[in-house]
Amino acid sequence: MGGRFRIPDSLDRCRCHHERGQLLDQSFDDVWAECEDLFAQARKTLASLKEIQPAHVVQASVNALFRTTHTLKGMAGMLGFPSFSRAAHRMEDIFDLMRQGRLRSTDSLVETLEAGMMALEAGLNGLRRGRPEPEDYLFPLRKQLGELEALARPTEGGSQDLTSLLDLPPDLLKALSEYERTRVTALLMSGMPIHGATICLEFATFDERLRVLNEALAALGELVSTLPCDVPEDREGLGFLLLAGCPSLDAAMLPLLEGELVGTALLADPSRVPESLRNPPAAPEEEALPPAPEPEPAAPPPGPPVQEVEILRLPAHRVEALEARLMAVGQLRDAASLLLHKGMDIRDDRPAALMNQIQDGLLEVQKSLLQMRMVRVESLFSRIEPMVKSLSRDTGKPVKLAFQGGDLELERGLLGRLTDPFLHLVRNAVDHGLEPPSERLALGKSEAGSIRLSASQRGRNIRFDIRDDGRGFDLARIETRGVTLGLLKAGQAHTPERLHRLTLEPGFSTQERASQISGRGVGMDVVRSEIEALGGEIHLSSEARRGSLIRLSIPLSRAVVSCLKVRCDRQSFGIPLGNVVRVQAGDQVHRGGDQVTVFGNSIPMESLQACLGLAEPDGQRSFVVLSTQGASARSVEVAIGVDAILGRGEVLLRSLPELAHAAGIMGGSPQEDGILWVLDPEATLSLAMNSLMRRVAHV
Amino acid sequence: MSEHRTWLHAKAAGMDLLIATSDLREVVASAPVSPLPGRPAGIAGVVVYEGEFLPVLAWDELPGCVAPPGRPQALAVLRPRLGIPLERLVGTTDLPHGILREPEESDPALPWLGGVAHEEGQVFRLLDADRLVALLRRFRGEH
Repeated sequence: MGGRFRIPDSLDRCRCHHERGQLLDQSFDDVWAECEDLFAQARKTLASLKEIQPAHVVQASVNALFRTTHTLKGMAGMLGFPSFSRAAHRMEDIFDLMRQGRLRSTDSLVETLEAGMMALEAGLNGLRRGRPEPEDYLFPLRKQLGELEALARPTEGGSQDLTSLLDLPPDLLKALSEYERTRVTALLMSGMPIHGATICLEFATFDERLRVLNEALAALGELVSTLPCDVPEDREGLGFLLLAGCPSLDAAMLPLLEGELVGTALLADPSRVPESLRNPPAAPEEEALPPAPEPEPAAPPPGPPVQEVEILRLPAHRVEALEARLMAVGQLRDAASLLLHKGMDIRDDRPAALMNQIQDGLLEVQKSLLQMRMVRVESLFSRIEPMVKSLSRDTGKPVKLAFQGGDLELERGLLGRLTDPFLHLVRNAVDHGLEPPSERLALGKSEAGSIRLSASQRGRNIRFDIRDDGRGFDLARIETRGVTLGLLKAGQAHTPERLHRLTLEPGFSTQERASQISGRGVGMDVVRSEIEALGGEIHLSSEARRGSLIRLSIPLSRAVVSCLKVRCDRQSFGIPLGNVVRVQAGDQVHRGGDQVTVFGNSIPMESLQACLGLAEPDGQRSFVVLSTQGASARSVEVAIGVDAILGRGEVLLRSLPELAHAAGIMGGSPQEDGILWVLDPEATLSLAMNSLMRRVAHV
Repeated sequence: MSEHRTWLHAKAAGMDLLIATSDLREVVASAPVSPLPGRPAGIAGVVVYEGEFLPVLAWDELPGCVAPPGRPQALAVLRPRLGIPLERLVGTTDLPHGILREPEESDPALPWLGGVAHEEGQVFRLLDADRLVALLRRFRGEH
C-alpha cells in the first residue's frame, strides 16, 4: 500500500481534519477498509487459538497475527499516528515472542491479546471520527503486557539453541535467522524431528514450485526455513533446502513433477536432545504461566494448511457506483416488463420465456451484488465476547454470555454503524445492569450474571435484543435525576416507558461518579441518535431485580427473500417462507372466521383480503398457515385464506418508503404482471387476529 | 414564504398549481400507479422511480381538493421522494413581486398550502412540500 499515498499530503489532511474534529478524508476509505479487514481476521485467528489444534496450525496463526500487527504498525506510521504505531509495535513484539516459542499460547494470554487488539481497533475507530490520539492505547493493559514481556525475557545465561544438533554444514547453520533457531529448538524440545528436503527447481517456475512444496511441507508439520543451497554440477536451476519439523519425511510425500529430484534426510533427532532439556523444570518466572497445552498426540494427523481467505476490498465510491448500476439494471427489467405486459401476443410464448430468462439472470446479478455487501451478524457478536470477558475480569462479575441469530446477514455498512452502539449497550449491561456476585447470591440468583444477545428478522426490520438478568433500571433514581435536570416535572406521575426513555436523553446519567467503563452520561443518547439515523428504533424495558431488555429495531433496505407466491383479488403476494408452516388446498370452501383442521389441530382462518382491507371473497379453497417466529413469544398460528397458490420463488425485495408504509406489507418486487407485494408475516398475523376478534365481537 | 423563486406551473386536480423548483428532484412522464393494498390515506399507490418505490399523491384525499379530471400527464418528483401527479405542464414562472399571499385560515387546503397568488383573474395555489409531507405523516399516524 506504501506507494498509494503521498505522505506529506496525507499528514496535512489528517491534521487538518483533527483540528476541525471531522471525519478523515474519504480518500482514506480503502485504508480503513483494509484495517477493518485486518482486525476482523485477527479476531478470528485469535479465537481459533483457544481451540486445540496441531502445533503447526497454531504456529501459522501466530505468524499471521505477527504480520497483521506489523502491517497495522506500518499503516499507522504512514498516516501519521505515532502512538498507534507504537502500540501496534508492542503487540507485534508479543506475537513475535509467541512465534519464537518464548510465550505459550494459553487462554489467558489470548484474552490479553484480544483485549489489546480491541483497544487498537477502538482507537482506530476514534481516529476515523477525528478524535485525537491517546498517549498509550494499551494503557489499561499495561500490567498484563508487562508481565508477558517479563516472562518471555531470556533467563540468565541466554536462551537455549539446539541448532547445533542439525546435521548441516556450518555455512547453512549460520544462515538460520534467530526466529528459525528458536523454532528448531522449540520443535526438538517438544520431541519433533527436523527433516530436510533438497531440491533443484527450474528458473522459469521455481517460485510457483517452491510455494507448492512449502505448502505440502506445512501440511505435514511445520515449515521452519527455506534456504538456498548449491546445485549439483550436472543440473541447472536453483537449489533449495527446505527445513521442516514433522514426524517423518519421504520424497513420496511431496507433490513432485516429472524430472524433479528431491533428497530427504533426518537432520536432527529429538532423542539427541539432553534429557534435562526435554523436560525442563519450570523456571521461577514461568510458574505464573498457566499449564502448557496438552502434549501433542504421538502421530498427529497432518492438518490441512491454513487457508488464506481472499478478501475483496471495495472503496465506498465503487460500491456506490455499483449500486447505481444495480438500480439501472432494475429499471431495465422494469421497462422490459412493462413492454411485455403491453405488447405480448398470447399465442406466442417466446417473449414470456425470454422475459423469464432475463428475470432469472437479473435476479442472480442482483443477488450477487447484494451479497457483496452482506456480512453475518456473528461478526458483530465476535467483537462482543472478548470485550465481555475483559469486563468480567475487570469488574469481578462472572458473566454467562449467549448469542442467537448470528447467521443472519446484514449490509456491511449497517453492521459497521451498529458496532459502537452495541458495544456500548453491552458494556452498560455488565457495568450497571449485573450485580456483583455477592449481591446476586444474596438475592437468590446464580453467581454469574447472564447476558443474551439475539438477532432476528421481523418483517422489514432486523431486531436485536440485549437481555440481562441484573438489577434492572432504577426508575426512582431516574425520576429524581430527571426532575433535577428539569426534564420532568416534580409531583407528576411518569410512566415506566417515559422513565426508561429518559436515559436516552443527552447528558443523562444517574451515576454520580464515572467508572472506568461507563457512566459518563454520554453514550446512550449517541446510541439513540445512531439507531435513529439508521431509521431504527430503540426500546428499553426492565423489571426491578429481574433484568433489562434493550431492543433495537433496524429497517432492512433491500434483501433477497424466498417466498411462497399467492394470488388474492387479482393481485400477487409473496409470503416469506420462514413463517409458513403449511400450505393446504382442497375442495372445501372456507370463509374468514372458520376453523380449519391442520395436523389434527383446529386453527382459525382469515382471508388475506380481510387482513389487508380488500374486498372479501365468497370463499377460498386454499390457505397458508403462518406462525410467529422467535423463541420468546408463544407461537400463534393462523390460516390465511388465499385465492390461489402460485408456487415459490426468490424475489428481490425493495422496501417501501416511509410515506407509503402499508400495514401488513414488508415491501414489493416488480414482476412482469405488476408488483408482487411481500407480506410482513408478523404484521399479517396481527391483522388477522384483529380481524378475527372483530368478527367475534360483530364489530 | 419567499417570492424570489422559480416555480413550476402545472394544472393538477383542476387547480393552477405552483411548485418551487427548489423542492423538485425532477419531472418525469407519468406511469401507471400500482395500487398498494392497505395504502395509507393520501397515497394512491407507488411507481418505480430510480429503481425504488416512489409514493404517489392521491389528490382527491387531500383537504380542499377534488379528484383530477383526467389522466395525469407528468409526475413531479419532490425532494422528499413523493410523486405529485400533474394533468398538464404549463411552464416555469417567476411570480411578480408582492402578489403572493398567505392562505386564509378558512381555506380547507391550508394544511398543504404554502400561499396563494392572484394574477389577471387567475388563482395560483402554492404547494408547500414540507407541509404536505407533514400532513401525510399525520394521516399515517391517524390511520
